[in-house]
Amino acid sequence: MGFLEFLVKRADDMLELGIAHAVVVGAAVIIATVLGVALGVLTYRHERARDLTLALTGSFLTIPSFALFILLLSPLGLGWRPVLLALVLYGLLPVVRNTITGLRGVDPAIIESAKGMGLNRRQRLLRIELPLAWPVIITGVRVTTLVLLGIAAIGAIVNGPGYGELIFTGLARVGTPVAVNLVLSGAVGVMILAVLFDLIFYAVQRLTTSRGIR
Amino acid sequence: MTQTTNSTPSVSGSDPSVMIRLEGLTKRFPGQKVNAVDELTMDIHEGEIVVLVGPSGCGKTTTMKMINRIIEPSSGRIILKGQDVTTTNADDLRRRIGYVIQQVGLFPHMTIGQNIATVPRLIGWSAERVRNRVDELMTMVNMDPDEYRDRYPKQLSGGQQQRIGVARALGGDPSVMLMDEPFGAIDPITRDRLQNEFLRLQSEVRKTIVFVTHDIDEAIKMGDRIAILQEGSRIAQYDTPEQILTAPANDFVKDFIGSGASLKRLNLSRVSEIELSTWPTVTNEDSHERAHELLAASDHSAVLVLDDEGRPVRWAGADDLRRGSGKRLDQVGSVPQAVIEPRATLSDALNELVTARYAVTVVVDERGRYQGVVDIDQINETIRSMRSSAVAEARTEFASEGADPAQGSS
Ligand SMILES: Nc1ncnc2c1ncn2[C@@H]1O[C@H](COP(=O)(O)OP(=O)(O)OP(=O)(O)O)[C@@H](O)[C@H]1O
Ligand SMILES: [Mg+2]
Repeated sequence: MGFLEFLVKRADDMLELGIAHAVVVGAAVIIATVLGVALGVLTYRHERARDLTLALTGSFLTIPSFALFILLLSPLGLGWRPVLLALVLYGLLPVVRNTITGLRGVDPAIIESAKGMGLNRRQRLLRIELPLAWPVIITGVRVTTLVLLGIAAIGAIVNGPGYGELIFTGLARVGTPVAVNLVLSGAVGVMILAVLFDLIFYAVQRLTTSRGIR
Repeated sequence: MTQTTNSTPSVSGSDPSVMIRLEGLTKRFPGQKVNAVDELTMDIHEGEIVVLVGPSGCGKTTTMKMINRIIEPSSGRIILKGQDVTTTNADDLRRRIGYVIQQVGLFPHMTIGQNIATVPRLIGWSAERVRNRVDELMTMVNMDPDEYRDRYPKQLSGGQQQRIGVARALGGDPSVMLMDEPFGAIDPITRDRLQNEFLRLQSEVRKTIVFVTHDIDEAIKMGDRIAILQEGSRIAQYDTPEQILTAPANDFVKDFIGSGASLKRLNLSRVSEIELSTWPTVTNEDSHERAHELLAASDHSAVLVLDDEGRPVRWAGADDLRRGSGKRLDQVGSVPQAVIEPRATLSDALNELVTARYAVTVVVDERGRYQGVVDIDQINETIRSMRSSAVAEARTEFASEGADPAQGSS
């Protein structure tokens, strides 16, 4: 059976797995973005806190994903829970780092003039600094998304949702004719999702970035 | 504009015309050995442009930023309209004070209209009122609202951005404006235009303005009063431009204004505004005897020969007359070089006369006819009278303000 034939035959599966994959990654990205931006906002003005946060969120990335999933297995059980938590941890660094870079890159003269006009700390952050740092932040979120799409596939080791299931099933049947098709369809599924997410990001970035700073 | 004789809780003994009073204002930055601003005390009167000028690093910017507490003072007090604002809410204070910096600092992600609307929105004006205010301010700074309102800062030239910076600072109709080298990064021609526009604008809005520059020419042009500052923001002289130019208080001020400054002052008066001196003249029909007579009767060493139309054609000294005896008077001596029209400035006159043969500049009307001469005594006299009128002006000003007349004219 050819690969395309295989895909057509498994179209329903592909769609279902794709949605599950996208949902768990999407949820992880949203949580990682909220946490990451918050961490960035809290620490960007203090050198020590900044360095500590970057070191910590960076250290998560050094844990092999395979190991992390299995470590989270005992506290969280099988299924989407350990996958979601692991993805959030892996997704923090690009968001935090870009948030800090973006906020620190805002022209001090702009901040000073905002201050001089009587915008308080919160108003400055929400109306001036975050909107100006936004293009950099969203780039970080985009990187996070791509990284997480790949890692999520490994989540099938703990029965996580998504295309990983196809890949691991293929792995179990190495040597049979269907194995290659299974692994390939899982990989292609992830790639298609990556392209779709990127398109969404492109649209979101355009819609949420002021024309004045494009 | 603002009422000064009101009943807001005021600091005892305050003068109602004082908009900003700095009392023993001091700033020591962490880790510095000396005070960046050291015990500065000064009064800034309502409706005046006060220019802080001085060498780099003397503390001008630090002083200015303490007024809106972008930099918090280490000690001393800031009193705004009689109210001590040294420790009140800084954001509220800043909404009452317009702030313009050299880098402009427009918000690049907002349109020009949104930029200008910032403070009016912060202080809760209605959408309608904000809209009208934006258009009004843009018109005031010579920017067509319909053309520029929806543009972004990057779509404007540097000069236009600075105009918007000024408009934005005026947004909430503050009574005080702080401006730190607002035209410092702009090419000289545009700067000149912006300065003129700003002075015209100020004549309408009559804000109390603290203006920082390190350029004495700009200070003289913009200031109603100039504070020349030394290291640590110590006041070397705080006075009107006229006083500073004509009666510098000490050598520091003298050095700082430089020798060119009084010449610049002369640029402001025209030859037509002063009474010309006379000089012995003869016509080309007159005899040599007449010329000799005139020379003998005057203490000048040459006579001026005029043609039939009354136009100066020659300088004739005693030697010239002797050498050219028998010739017509318009054939002897030398052709006058230093000739100017009444529209010329005293500075032009001075320039001409220093190189002229008989140390005078001949003034002619538009048809070239002799009017009189300008000599060095008249230039001196003009400087002297500028000085005394500056003194008189300062006196009446202080008298009308009911302030201590000794104050300020250090
Ligand atoms: N944040 C700071 N930390 C430490 N020292 C500072 C700080 N800001 C200014 N200073 C010092 O305070 C002094 C006064 O600086 P200020 O910026 O007020 O000078 P200025 O008169 O505005 O000079 P310029 O004409 O160069 O702008 C300088 O010696 C400067 O080095
Ligand atoms: Mg400065």
